[in-house]
Amino acid sequence: MKTIRFELNGEPVTAQVEPHHNVVELLQTMGLRGARESCGQGLCGCCTVLVDGLAVSGCLYFAAQLDGARVDTIERTEREGELDVVQQAFAECGAFQCGFCTPGFVLMTRQLLAHNPAPSEDEIRHYLSGNLCRCATYPEIIRAVQLAARIRKAGA
Amino acid sequence: MRPFELLEPSSLREALGLLDTADETVRPAGGGTALMLMMKAGVLEPSRLISLRRIEPAWAEISQSADAVEIGALATLSAIEHSGIVRSELPVIARTLRTLANVRVRNVATLGGNLAHADPHMDLPPVLIALGASVIIASRGAERELPVAELISGYYETTLASGELIVRVRVPKQFARFSAYRKITTRSADDWPALGVAVALDREGPVLREARIAVSAAFDRPLRLAAAEAVLRGASIDDEAVLIHAGDAAADEARPIADERGSAAYKRELIRVHVRRALRDALDAQGGTP
Ligand SMILES: Cc1cc2nc3c(=O)[nH]c(=O)nc-3n(C[C@H](O)[C@H](O)[C@H](O)COP(=O)(O)OP(=O)(O)OC[C@H]3O[C@@H](n4cnc5c(N)ncnc54)[C@H](O)[C@@H]3O)c2cc1C
Ligand code: FES
Ligand code: FES
Repeated sequence: MKTIRFELNGEPVTAQVEPHHNVVELLQTMGLRGARESCGQGLCGCCTVLVDGLAVSGCLYFAAQLDGARVDTIERTEREGELDVVQQAFAECGAFQCGFCTPGFVLMTRQLLAHNPAPSEDEIRHYLSGNLCRCATYPEIIRAVQLAARIRKAGA
Repeated sequence: MRPFELLEPSSLREALGLLDTADETVRPAGGGTALMLMMKAGVLEPSRLISLRRIEPAWAEISQSADAVEIGALATLSAIEHSGIVRSELPVIARTLRTLANVRVRNVATLGGNLAHADPHMDLPPVLIALGASVIIASRGAERELPVAELISGYYETTLASGELIVRVRVPKQFARFSAYRKITTRSADDWPALGVAVALDREGPVLREARIAVSAAFDRPLRLAAAEAVLRGASIDDEAVLIHAGDAAADEARPIADERGSAAYKRELIRVHVRRALRDALDAQGGTP
């Protein structure tokens, strides 16, 4: 067991981890279930979290390596109880069915728009190609990303 | 996963010291993306991982001299993809990275880990071989340089000795050489390749002086296709028939191995068509931007 300290959704936390624990397993012991393991192989994006501002697959990241890092998950909200622009756009467009993949898609979309505020459809498809939706809501997801980009632009 | 110990040395020196052991179950870790998959599958059971991510940041830097770009082995694939130096000097690398794995893997995976993994399906090795790149390898008290083509020796095998680390990759600037990479996927657009073809062409006016063709995902390791290269040497770039001959020569000399993305016969036909198309791409791109 090793004690690690990191910032989780803006709050300093400490945790006890074994070397073989991955980030999803650690977050679950801390009561956070937004990042969930599905493929366990880096392919599907259901386990997406941000480490020091970069999207990573929680299933392929050793929990011990979070020591000293800033970690953000889907549970972090800008304002208490409110959805952000990307979440609103996903709801508006019905860009999910069961919702299992949605936290990953939302986090990836936030990253995409932060780097590229007006992505083309080709750029959206490439950026999100590492996220899988078994309910196949891909057309709605692409519309949601485009809507989020428009709302962001209007609000900027 | 079997229990193991994870160490995070803060310098390259310290890491090399920890790796200087006869114990083969002590392994270096870069981004850990390939390692973790192998450990989950039970094909790798290290007793101790020496993570390189806290060694000096200099080993993740990307720099250039008059004739080469040097990339630290700890640079992430994302950092390389977005590097201004790489995009202007080696645009084919930036283009290749765009469809390699996915954003999250590229944010974490390192160049050193990518090359040491030696999965024959990987996208970067054929590109680096075509560009004439080499790796700088360090061990306790020694350093050597080796062409990427000589680093990868077989199916998940390299010529690295235990205790050795890839610390830098040196890619010659391409100047008048034109290059292209074609990743052919058969299941989804951003899948692992069923075939990878990288070409780099050196021309003088309308005449091809030298061609390098490296093919991956078809053999136990990425390989140059010498017969196809010979067809192109001294040929005119305006001669479309020579590109077809080169594709045929490539298909004739290749001995592809089947995998779940295509049979050997299918891969041979992919080689015939995509060697020709990659040559066309390189002539059309003329070093264009990614
Ligand atoms: C979902 C997914 C999809 C993928 N798709 C593709 C794809 O389409 N195309 C493709 O090319 N690749 C693909 N990959 C593979 C990916 O490129 C590799 O996993 C990655 O590059 C490995 O880098 P790493 O730093 O994580 O290596 P690690 O996992 O840290 O290490 C890999 C190996 O290299 C050794 N090693 C690490 N660093 C060094 C060093 N500096 N010197 C010597 N040895 C070292 C380790 O001991 C280990 O044996 C995919 C991977 C995943 C998870
Ligand atoms: S569970 Fe991590 S990418 Fe699928
Ligand atoms: S909404 Fe069900 S997996 Fe995407």
